Amino acid sequence: MKKRITRRDFLRNAGIGAAGLALGPAMIKDVFAQKTNRRTLRILQWSHFVKRYDRWFDPYAKQWGEEHNVDVIVDHVGLADLRSTFASEVAAGKGHDIVEFIDPPSDFEPSVLDLNDINQEAQKKFGKQVPYATRSTYNPNTKKFYGFCHGWTIDPGDYRKSLWEKVGKPDGPSTWEDLLTYGKRIKDELGIQMGIGLSQELDSNMAGRALLWSFDASIQDENENLVLNSKNTVEAVKFMAELYKNTLTPEVFGWNAASNNQLLIAGKASYILNSISAYRSAQKDVPEIAKDIFFTPALKGPRGTALACEHVIYISVIPKFASKNADLAKQFLLDLSKNYDRAMWESELYASPAFFNTQIPSGERGYMKLKDAKTLRDLHNAWFSEDPYALPGERKDKLLPLKDAEKWSTNVGYPGPANPAEGEIFSTYVIPNMLAKVAQGKQSAEESVKQATEECRKVFEKWKAQGLIGKKK
Amino acid sequence: MKWRDILDRESVLAPLLLLPVVLYVLFFVGFPFIMSFVYSFSNITVGNPDFKFIGISNFTDLIQDRIFLKSLANTFIFTFVSIGLVVILSHILAEILIREFKGKWIVRFLVMMPWTAPIALGTIGYLWFLDSLFSPIDWLLRRLGLLGKPGAVLGPMSNMYWLGIPELAMASVILVHVWRLLPLGTVILIAGINSIPKEITEAAQVDGAGYFRRLFHINIPLLFPVIGVTVLFSTLFTFTDMTVVWVLTKGGPPSHSTQVLASLAFLKGIQGGDLAQGAAIALFFFPVLAGLAAIVLRLAKKAVVI
Repeated sequence: MKKRITRRDFLRNAGIGAAGLALGPAMIKDVFAQKTNRRTLRILQWSHFVKRYDRWFDPYAKQWGEEHNVDVIVDHVGLADLRSTFASEVAAGKGHDIVEFIDPPSDFEPSVLDLNDINQEAQKKFGKQVPYATRSTYNPNTKKFYGFCHGWTIDPGDYRKSLWEKVGKPDGPSTWEDLLTYGKRIKDELGIQMGIGLSQELDSNMAGRALLWSFDASIQDENENLVLNSKNTVEAVKFMAELYKNTLTPEVFGWNAASNNQLLIAGKASYILNSISAYRSAQKDVPEIAKDIFFTPALKGPRGTALACEHVIYISVIPKFASKNADLAKQFLLDLSKNYDRAMWESELYASPAFFNTQIPSGERGYMKLKDAKTLRDLHNAWFSEDPYALPGERKDKLLPLKDAEKWSTNVGYPGPANPAEGEIFSTYVIPNMLAKVAQGKQSAEESVKQATEECRKVFEKWKAQGLIGKKK
Repeated sequence: MKWRDILDRESVLAPLLLLPVVLYVLFFVGFPFIMSFVYSFSNITVGNPDFKFIGISNFTDLIQDRIFLKSLANTFIFTFVSIGLVVILSHILAEILIREFKGKWIVRFLVMMPWTAPIALGTIGYLWFLDSLFSPIDWLLRRLGLLGKPGAVLGPMSNMYWLGIPELAMASVILVHVWRLLPLGTVILIAGINSIPKEITEAAQVDGAGYFRRLFHINIPLLFPVIGVTVLFSTLFTFTDMTVVWVLTKGGPPSHSTQVLASLAFLKGIQGGDLAQGAAIALFFFPVLAGLAAIVLRLAKKAVVI
């Protein structure tokens, strides 16, 4: 006989089922944790542009956990979701023990632990940190290290040698003026444009800052005073408008972070500002284009200054809500710095170390050992002199111009620290908009700079009121 | 009294069955809404959950903010042009789909597709369609000789740069949004047309009324409550949505050419870290939208009566 399901049965069974689904995993996990007495370390970070890095990092973290009797869980989210994910964790007061950002998370300072201790310890163990890493993790006003930086990424110029050879500049541009002069000739004579973004995206932000700094302008000075409205800024903005008119197309206003890579790989760009990831992608997808891609350091401005923004800066924070696991988290971060040779190698040289003087650990390291290499500096110099990832038949010395990149690289906020005001200005694309409006012919350079300065002033005032900037004597 | 007797009483069982929905609305709609309201009068940031109340200054700042005013204007353009197109196109589609013809099911299936696919996924597809380099639309235009050679109607450049030129970018986000809303409007209008008593149209036909006379003097007046529901529901939906804009342009091209209030709230509140200002932007038009929602509910009730 068929059994009839009553409303009461349905409600009872549905209730039991729902309770089981809700509580089951938590109960199992608790029972398991009590039985094994193991702690859990949860890490949140972006899905790396270089997939190979994640394929190395996740097992590395698990292995580290095994060695320390800890369950390590690594969660990856898309770059665009990192801030919103951590913001919701801060609001909930619960979440991951380590969160790794790729830009300075200075606005989260009130909700994260002071990492002064591991920053000091790391400097003792591994030597001096690159200065822009410190400026991206330390707030001089509150005297707090809100983050720990273990690495960063170089942001060079990537150019197509064959095109630049044809216009008599085989080694590519060395000044912004070269971009205009020879970039125009390449566009006019060879029909290939340049690829510098003027859009609401990451690479346009980097390019805009590199331009300003090389023209001896900046958003703030070293004491966090707003100094954007200057004749040097106006000069830089006018230059960019000229550069747009002669070497770019309207597509640069609608770009996303991948667009300049695509343009270069498609063989449609003579020069872009991007990390070596664009070149690595070309090596895999279009080797004949990759073989033609070469690099330049930061371009010199009219008075000889040459600076570029770090492309990515890896900064880990430990939220206050994770303080019970802070000891584990700090140990993990220090050990990651110690093993940074692996990070450099597995990221295909995309990641550079924040501590160049770190000793290379002994034993099997997953790459061919270099006889005289004792520190990460030695490895960096050797690999950038002779790229181990060069394709067969490809020149191996292409990365040589980037060997001393830490001399011409700097942080968001230069010459001051990467404070929350600079962060908000970065995240809301004030600088690309300032440059683009003049390039589009919608405003004069003077008006655009004035308007951008007004936007920045409101942002600076707000963060000053929060006590996070501008108190330093 | 036993449990089974208690559960058999409608006065107990009905609230019990409704409880999950009520709890869902309270926790996932009501609570965030109250928090947004509180935040909009504070100085809260994403990185610092501690805050103090600062009165209405977030709102007064917005009124003087050039980007906010531009986003507001964009929101009206985006909303009203989208809704106008949705009403016209969904009416045409509904008129077609109530008729019998060969292959009707495949047409109906294709029309409904945008509503069933996740919007982010569909919009990413359009991102490729409108790509500055690989756009198949541009390829077609070039093949037709309309683009990419001297004297071509659309210009000598190789691509249209849909998302790089402000006017084309706005047209692009509107068209993708229309593509997304069209199935909903069509389904509502099909239901409305089917509910018109046949004898009225038949009587008009006997009296010699042609198609357009019947359309403008019988169908549209009778469909007015249904069209009203479509318009107001779509308006609410469009006014508060950021998906299409965010995926396609992130509010660009410079300077904020397609930025709408919902995307600006996200840009300022989450990306920029100023949660309080983001909340103020999101709530700025709450009174207007709440009024619209009330009208939708009244019209929906009327439509049901018909």
